Amino acid sequence: MDIQFDQVMPHPLASIQHGSDSIWGDSVTLKSGHKILLNASSGKGKSTFTMSVMGLRTDYNGTIRMNGRDITEFSINEWVEYRQNKLAVVFQDLQLFPNLSVAENLLLKNQLTDFKTEKEIRGFLEILEIDHKWDDPCRLLSMGQQQRVAIVRALCQPFEFLILDEPFSHLDDRNSKISLELIAHEASQQNAGFVLTSLDDDDSFPFDYEIKL
Amino acid sequence: MLRKLLFKYQDKQQLIIAVAGAFLGMTFLITSIHYLIKVNEFGEGADILGPNTLIIQKKVSNSNTLQLAKTDFTSREVQQLKEKSFILDVQPVITNNFDVSLETDDPLVPRFRTDVFVQTLDKEFLDVKTAEWNWNPNDTIVPIIMPRDFLVMLNTFASASGIGQVSDEVAMDIKFKFTLKSEDKKEWMNAKIIGFTNSVSSILVPENFMKWANNRYAAGKEQKITQLMISGAENEFGKVESMLKERHLETKNTQMVVGRLKSMVGTLIMVVLGISVIAVFLSGLVLIQYLQLLISKNSYEVRTLLRLGYHPKLLTRGFVIYFTKVFGIIALLSISAFLIAKWFLDGLFEDGGLYITNAITVSSLLALAVSFGLFALASYRSASKGIQNSNNG
Repeated sequence: MDIQFDQVMPHPLASIQHGSDSIWGDSVTLKSGHKILLNASSGKGKSTFTMSVMGLRTDYNGTIRMNGRDITEFSINEWVEYRQNKLAVVFQDLQLFPNLSVAENLLLKNQLTDFKTEKEIRGFLEILEIDHKWDDPCRLLSMGQQQRVAIVRALCQPFEFLILDEPFSHLDDRNSKISLELIAHEASQQNAGFVLTSLDDDDSFPFDYEIKL
Repeated sequence: MLRKLLFKYQDKQQLIIAVAGAFLGMTFLITSIHYLIKVNEFGEGADILGPNTLIIQKKVSNSNTLQLAKTDFTSREVQQLKEKSFILDVQPVITNNFDVSLETDDPLVPRFRTDVFVQTLDKEFLDVKTAEWNWNPNDTIVPIIMPRDFLVMLNTFASASGIGQVSDEVAMDIKFKFTLKSEDKKEWMNAKIIGFTNSVSSILVPENFMKWANNRYAAGKEQKITQLMISGAENEFGKVESMLKERHLETKNTQMVVGRLKSMVGTLIMVVLGISVIAVFLSGLVLIQYLQLLISKNSYEVRTLLRLGYHPKLLTRGFVIYFTKVFGIIALLSISAFLIAKWFLDGLFEDGGLYITNAITVSSLLALAVSFGLFALASYRSASKGIQNSNNG
């Protein structure tokens, strides 16, 4: 599944001067199966990009297409299908349920498609070194631990594209690297692509290409 | 997990208040509907005449005795009565214009003979099966409805004669014989009692028989209408009573007393019913508001679940099922409280001499089902709208 941006300009960003290489106001295709770094400084619309792709914001000019269709024309049923099986996401504010345990947060997502077994989910947590937090309420976790839970939750579904909105902002380099390798591995397993938004260039991982806002 | 997420952290004080209000409202609603129906049914079946039915006649005064005033009804007077909104039907009571006597014709009972007065009523007013209450010239037996006073008289005669008294059932098995006669003709017809009445003082015969006999034994004689059968509207016996006073008409007092009592009790229960409907409506409203508040308090959870790929219908169903269960519990509690109240009230009525049937009325259960259905529908619409609003973000 390709995601096409055709002259997309979010209304709140229309008054800002964008670089010539910005995808805002340009025609860009996020190609299926590619690992893409979306690099932008603060206030350039990284979260707007995520929310727009996920169909949660429509305050923009231009057109975003998935499988050739304008996403503003998607029905509720189509969005449910995309969010369950085609588009995974890690929001910048994570959007976990603070009163539920780590296990409940993950199983609540996984039960929609039964994509992973509990053993596999525990395995992800083990890789990210937070498996001992399985029964802890999310509100008691550090921000870095919560980010890792949100990453695992995004992996608990089939996807064609995974959108990650600054997922490592509270992680050290080592944990960021482990997390990114896990994400890349899972995406490869599904022949899926992902877009990782970041404030900085990241030379430590071989992205297929980089786009800017 | 979904249930824990959406329902665990809620302020239950408002829910308990709404549940208590709905429980009281529902209990009063089904109880008042039940007793409203029972009061209206009161008296049915005790008499062969239908409910809310009166036989009226003009008051006999000295003027009537001196033949200065008439006791019969003109067609204009009948028409005026028919036009009253609180009178559902008016039919003349047709009487015999020939001589008729009734005697026992059964070897099991001693001979008893008396001249009688026979009348016929429109069968719409009679609580008898149409098939039984019919007569054709080829029929050998005339069905009759006997005034209960006649049975009392018969039993008094039996007692005085030193023979056993008869019950309603036995009386209905005794063979009787009519003697119809005019100046030049005389004929005997078999007769059989099919029921009794406290409301009419004469023997009732089918309309076909009366027409046939009047034609055969009183041809050419004018048929005067001195009594009318009227059917009053439910709970409007006060108006009927006022009209009777205004027009100097009279009826058997017992008939009016029952009608008046039924009107009064019925009106009281209607007031309770009205209050119950308002209580159910208000408590339902509080429950729906609580549902909206719950969705509003959980807007983050609802919005996030939708973003994760949960279908709005799945979340709507979760809320509707929860509140349907709440109302189901209210309904069960209300039914239980109603049954306890019914047991207590039936006992009170019985002690007071009002014997009403024990069966639970279908309408009261139907009211419960309708309230339940309306609440489930309101819950669905409210939850659906609340979740749709949460989705905008």
